[in-house]
Amino acid sequence: MADFNVQVRGVGHVSIVDLKGYLDAHTAPELESTFNKLIEASNYKVVVNFDELAYISSAGLGVFMAYVETMRENNGDIKFANMKDNVYSIFDLLGFPMLYEFFKDEVEAIEKFNNQD
Amino acid sequence: MQYPDKNAALRNLSALVDFSNLINSSLDLNFTLNNMLLTCFSKLLATKGLIALNSNNNSLEVKTFKGFSKDIISQFPNVSIDDFENNPDFKNFAEENNIRICQKIVSSNNKLGVLCLGQRMGGSLYDEDDKSFLQTIVNIGATAIENSQIVEELKSVNKRLDAKVNQLGSLFDLSKEFSGILKVEMVGKLLVFSIIGQLLVSKFAVVTCENNSYRILETKIPEEKLKGIIKDCNLNKITSPIRGDELNKEFEDFRKVGIELVIPMTIKSETKGLILLGRRKNEVEYTQSDIEFVSSVGSLAIISIENARLFEEAIEKQRLEKDLEIARNIQRNLLPGRIPQLKNFEIAAFNKSARQVGGDYYDVVTLDDHRTLIAIADVSGKGVQAALLMANLQAFLKSICKQNIPINEASNLINDLVSENTTMGSFITFFWGIIDDEARTLTYVNAGHNPPLLVRDNEIIKLRIGGMILGVMSTTIPYESEEIELRKGDRIYLFTDGITEAMSMDNEEFSDEKLEDFVLNQKDLSADELINSLMKEVRNYTAGADQSDDITSLILKVN
Repeated sequence: MADFNVQVRGVGHVSIVDLKGYLDAHTAPELESTFNKLIEASNYKVVVNFDELAYISSAGLGVFMAYVETMRENNGDIKFANMKDNVYSIFDLLGFPMLYEFFKDEVEAIEKFNNQD
Repeated sequence: MQYPDKNAALRNLSALVDFSNLINSSLDLNFTLNNMLLTCFSKLLATKGLIALNSNNNSLEVKTFKGFSKDIISQFPNVSIDDFENNPDFKNFAEENNIRICQKIVSSNNKLGVLCLGQRMGGSLYDEDDKSFLQTIVNIGATAIENSQIVEELKSVNKRLDAKVNQLGSLFDLSKEFSGILKVEMVGKLLVFSIIGQLLVSKFAVVTCENNSYRILETKIPEEKLKGIIKDCNLNKITSPIRGDELNKEFEDFRKVGIELVIPMTIKSETKGLILLGRRKNEVEYTQSDIEFVSSVGSLAIISIENARLFEEAIEKQRLEKDLEIARNIQRNLLPGRIPQLKNFEIAAFNKSARQVGGDYYDVVTLDDHRTLIAIADVSGKGVQAALLMANLQAFLKSICKQNIPINEASNLINDLVSENTTMGSFITFFWGIIDDEARTLTYVNAGHNPPLLVRDNEIIKLRIGGMILGVMSTTIPYESEEIELRKGDRIYLFTDGITEAMSMDNEEFSDEKLEDFVLNQKDLSADELINSLMKEVRNYTAGADQSDDITSLILKVN
């Protein structure tokens, strides 16, 4: 079974979600529970760092769709950073760049949040 | 005069060669169009220009422009490439914006569009040389435009293919995942994530239908609202995907909460659930291919959901069967383990439950050194309920027989106890009697049970004396008992209706007549042999058919 790991760090008011391994139908629920915890703790400003993510399936993408509105309704957002080309191409194919902000480095994404405040 | 002309021709030629090299080095449409305009500007000293290309619906669409404001371009009239020159709207547009010359862009096969230029700097008119230069530019450009259009088309086909491949990949992943999941909630989650990730949807709900009641698996629509809608909505009416006008007309409520697409999940063309989706976040309409994708994922999911449900049911059934197995063991222990043998009597008994827990009961209880109690009963109903009532009866019987009360009076008591302890509609047919081994007598009471058969000298005497079935009402008319003197060779058959009503494969009952014929012909056998041959007879009769009722018999032989 493919490995997947998700961890959350806080940088100021922004939560960084580090993804590692394979995010697919099987592992999507783990990411879902991470988002549920963030919402429970009222952490709506989220940067997802894809640096160590090797693969994402559409079920994985669905998790972001399921939570982005809640974040935005609460003056937050889900922003993407450090994405590898092969992972980005899937986001691109499905039209995510129209709806989400992508950053080369998480620092830029954090800055974007901080400038908003 | 010729010399400067020659120079001009050379300049023209070198510009054309440059241009040709440039635009043929790229397959990017915008790059080509831009350079066509720029070359015209530099060579013809134009300051404004636009290129409009033929779009799919055969009207011209401005693809690039310079020197005009966006506002002006937005007023470009809706004209076709075939007759724009004569179109009054176009004439007005050209007039107002000082468009002085237009050249059609035509390749060997197709009319591609038109290049229009405004006033020249300084205001001089375009002469014949200018026109032929423009013609040449456009001819060279045409090929480049056509090539880049083909490339664009290829790119978009490729992108669509990639998207399709991705959808297939998702389907493949899901089919693997779904087949391994046996929890309905989990299937719902994966179904939703896959769809909304693939199609960029944030408003959705998934409901399933079992036994006419809805179950909401996932929803981003407030649950109360959703319940209000699906309550009124007949699920079986939805057998194919619904969107657009049809949704507006027939399912207005869905539209009110922002649902734009309703896709049924079906098993063998029966609708078992619905996937409800809101507008796509990228504002793109659902394509046929999207709908097919959702339908396919839905079909996979609903089969998995159905499997999960069946699995849960099977587990529950197993648990229930285990309970029954325990009940059966308890019940078996309620029946006598070893039957006491007397000086002048042989007793044999047989019992077989139709289900794991039955409602038949028999007992043989030693009262004192010469008296023995025999009993047989059939509790109404089957299964656990019947078994509980039977256990009750056994407890009453065991306690009453210790009190040494005449059997008719004891019957009054037992009926009162059973009546108090049964719910409406439960009852017991009951026969019991006391054998006196010394006096060779049987004193019995029959409370509505199939009359036992006393066979004596090739004749049958039915033991009918007694009273009402137990448990219908408390005792108002006392039970009567009868004492019979028994003779050597008498045989008494106690049985339940499981024997007389045993069904053959042809759905015919064993019947009282057959039983009576059979017992009359049984001679010179021990009690054990009598019962074995009776049971064998019944078994042969019902060969292959299901045993529908408990079968119990108790045989008494007088020696």
